[in-house]
Amino acid sequence: MIENGPLLERLLEGEFICAVTDEHSFHKLQNEQLVEDLNHFLRPLNRRVAKSEDGAVYFLAYCDLNQQARQQLSQQFNATVQSLLPMLEWMQLVQEAMGRDGALSAGDTIKLQDFESKVVDNQSLIQRLGQLSSDKLFKSTSDKSDMQIKQVFKRIKELGYLYQPHKDRLFYIVTGKVEQLIELVRFIKDEENVPIDEHTPEQEAMF
Amino acid sequence: MSTPNDGKSSAQSNPLFQLGKERLELIGKHADALMQGYLQGHVDETSFSQQALEKLINGRILWRPDEQQPLSLRPNVNELIAGLTQDERKRQINSDVGEHLDLIHTRVQSLQTARQKGDYAASEHHMQLLTERVHDMTGQFGDAIESLWHRLNTEFGFVSSLDDKILEIELAQRQLRRILDGFKIINFDELIQLAGSDGALRKLLVSQLQARISEHSGSLLEVQKRLVLLMARFRHQQERALLVNRMSAFLRQHPNFKVGDYPHRSNVPGVINQAHGISAQGFVALDRPQDSYVLAELARAIPRDLVPESQSEKQTQGFATAVQDLVATEQKQLAKDVEDFFLHVIEHTDPVSGVDYLAEKALSWEAEMWLFQIVAEFEGLPQHNKQSFMLEKDSARKSPFNHLHIIQDVKLGMRFFGGFQAVG
Repeated sequence: MIENGPLLERLLEGEFICAVTDEHSFHKLQNEQLVEDLNHFLRPLNRRVAKSEDGAVYFLAYCDLNQQARQQLSQQFNATVQSLLPMLEWMQLVQEAMGRDGALSAGDTIKLQDFESKVVDNQSLIQRLGQLSSDKLFKSTSDKSDMQIKQVFKRIKELGYLYQPHKDRLFYIVTGKVEQLIELVRFIKDEENVPIDEHTPEQEAMF
Repeated sequence: MSTPNDGKSSAQSNPLFQLGKERLELIGKHADALMQGYLQGHVDETSFSQQALEKLINGRILWRPDEQQPLSLRPNVNELIAGLTQDERKRQINSDVGEHLDLIHTRVQSLQTARQKGDYAASEHHMQLLTERVHDMTGQFGDAIESLWHRLNTEFGFVSSLDDKILEIELAQRQLRRILDGFKIINFDELIQLAGSDGALRKLLVSQLQARISEHSGSLLEVQKRLVLLMARFRHQQERALLVNRMSAFLRQHPNFKVGDYPHRSNVPGVINQAHGISAQGFVALDRPQDSYVLAELARAIPRDLVPESQSEKQTQGFATAVQDLVATEQKQLAKDVEDFFLHVIEHTDPVSGVDYLAEKALSWEAEMWLFQIVAEFEGLPQHNKQSFMLEKDSARKSPFNHLHIIQDVKLGMRFFGGFQAVG
């Protein structure tokens, strides 16, 4: 078990483990026996190994939802919900700038330079980037696009949605945590009956 | 050229031969301009001479679909190029089986009539056409399936947008269904009856055809599976993109949108249950004697400053920076020497004279500075440490006219019983 110590430690630190951030550990966690063993260790800490619905990412969840755990979840959930719109807007921005029509998903790579050159060529993208980067999630005070982009990507990396394989090279890989975010969006949509399944005319005007 | 054999000469005598050859040559002669037209969808008339244009139109290669429309390639020529270059965008999947089967029927009947009449040459001719027809039919299936495969393998890469990809797959699925429908039309019982007892016909119409069709069916099944998979993937991507777009649009329009308090519901959904991090910390365990060696090794491995930072560094603040460095080093050295003096005192029971020690160790400090530092160090000691030492100043009155005392020496000793041990 001692050889799984580092893995356990990373999980305990609240990290999300997916095929992008740590392929080796990710494959390890697909072994059900191991997960059971880990859960045995984690039980006294009121933790267990959980994964996203599609199995793209592993993380720790609470076993017993006592008051403290709920408070923690509440705090976290509120933070996530508050960052939801800027995150979604960022995803759209990347999608549009890079000319993709599928939403970003785990494993997609983004070269900062490519992204930047696409954005600065397009006035409306520059404007949207400016608005996005001044959001309180990113808190960029610069009025230069390249600084704004750097700040936005830095923050998203800190939030765990992007992984930077080389410290000095500016390219990022989307992590499995994005899948978890999409799942949350889907959940909120279903649970709150957000009326976005049908094309309402007012939305049509926006596209 | 070699001497033409019978078959060749008979083919050359066919009036079609000359005409077809002329037309093919005509295409070859204007290959550049025609290919340009193929890619652009219409032909640039200025690139041809009036004469050539007339020839091409009369040769059924170019035509004008409408009075207002520019000249373009005839559909057959388009298809020919698409087929030759495997240009899947324009390649048509033509699997009209019914017509083929009808023709096969007629051909078999003509063949049998010819045989009954004993017209050997005619029956030979019909047999040849029949064989061609059957090969045409299976060949068309083969082409159609090959085209589907080709498109699958490039993952519909030539269409960029997801919507178009999905439309393309839908198109491919329709084509696939048409091929399958075509397979269904082929009724082997009927063909067996048609072939009757004729061995050659049976082989051509039944066993060969059956083998080819089952081969094609297997291939088609695989294509179908892959198409369904791709479709599912594209649909999934599309759904995600729509979800992201619509949700963000919704949130933008409803800035005061409140999400339910899921963490405090009795049933907390899994997607929300994410435990916060525990930062694991470890400390040196001094309660395990067996670890002491490892700990000592670790402690030794910790890099440290050679000269310990002392308070004296602070005292040098206010000097000019250039001098400051020098003074600081000297000050440090002085402090260190005094420290050694104190250690010396601790190790010896007798009180030690500062001036003697200075001489004994042959230190370069001025006596006055040295004594001052000792006194300063002593005064600077924490109260409880100070009590362990005793300092005696050996001073003399400088002049009878004032009360100025000059310290000539200090004696430092350990206090054990309320006074110098030696004295006590």
